Amino acid sequence: MKRASELRLHCPAQPQYVAPIRHALTAFLEALQFDRGVRDDVTTAAGEALANVVEHAYARSPSKIARDVQLFARYDRDGRLWVDVLDRGSFIRREPLPGRGFGLRIIRAITHQLNIDTTRGTCVSMTFEGQAFLEKR
Amino acid sequence: MNQSDSIKTIRLSGELEIGRKDEIRDALRRSPGDRAVLVDLSDVTYADSVALTELLRFCVASSHDAIPVALVVRTPQFARVVEYAGLAGAFKIFGDRDTARVYLEHSGAE
Repeated sequence: MKRASELRLHCPAQPQYVAPIRHALTAFLEALQFDRGVRDDVTTAAGEALANVVEHAYARSPSKIARDVQLFARYDRDGRLWVDVLDRGSFIRREPLPGRGFGLRIIRAITHQLNIDTTRGTCVSMTFEGQAFLEKR
Repeated sequence: MNQSDSIKTIRLSGELEIGRKDEIRDALRRSPGDRAVLVDLSDVTYADSVALTELLRFCVASSHDAIPVALVVRTPQFARVVEYAGLAGAFKIFGDRDTARVYLEHSGAE
């Protein structure tokens, strides 16, 4: 029986911080005793959201704005796992260019539910749930 | 990199992710005499879409020049992320180096 738990991380939105954030998320999932397949998939989806922030979120932002990224992961007693990736930048909605835009496709393939809120900055909310995903992979 | 015959081998290892984008792009280069390329990813422990994009760019450019490219992938995460990205048909992926070399040799490398 996994216990409810949370993880919060806050870093500059720079490429060198993406891997350490993923590693911290992996450790969080290991502590919750998720198996390797689940850890790989969840950290892959989170890694794509983080990479998207680093590559695109602040491309159109004024230089004065704090260019940071936050990750919030939560596991509840009902067996649902949430991972939110937040920034203060701009989400660029566009059709994927040929040979690009695989990040969101990967996230959609892995998550049970994906919500992108662009009201203030961007919050990519990923939900992972279901017996098949969380117990058998 | 190893170039003992007409098949050039490019080895990448560890985590292929956004923080190593330039390194990945620099590694994925061909020389004028190369007739085939084996990209050995056996020791890759993680790959993201940035790495996949660089690999795809390399494979497409090589295909345009009629240079066959084979990828050796052993990590489940890597295999799954290729599938999730919808790129399973874009790469020639093999589970071991010997099979990949046989494919390249039969693709006109030697």
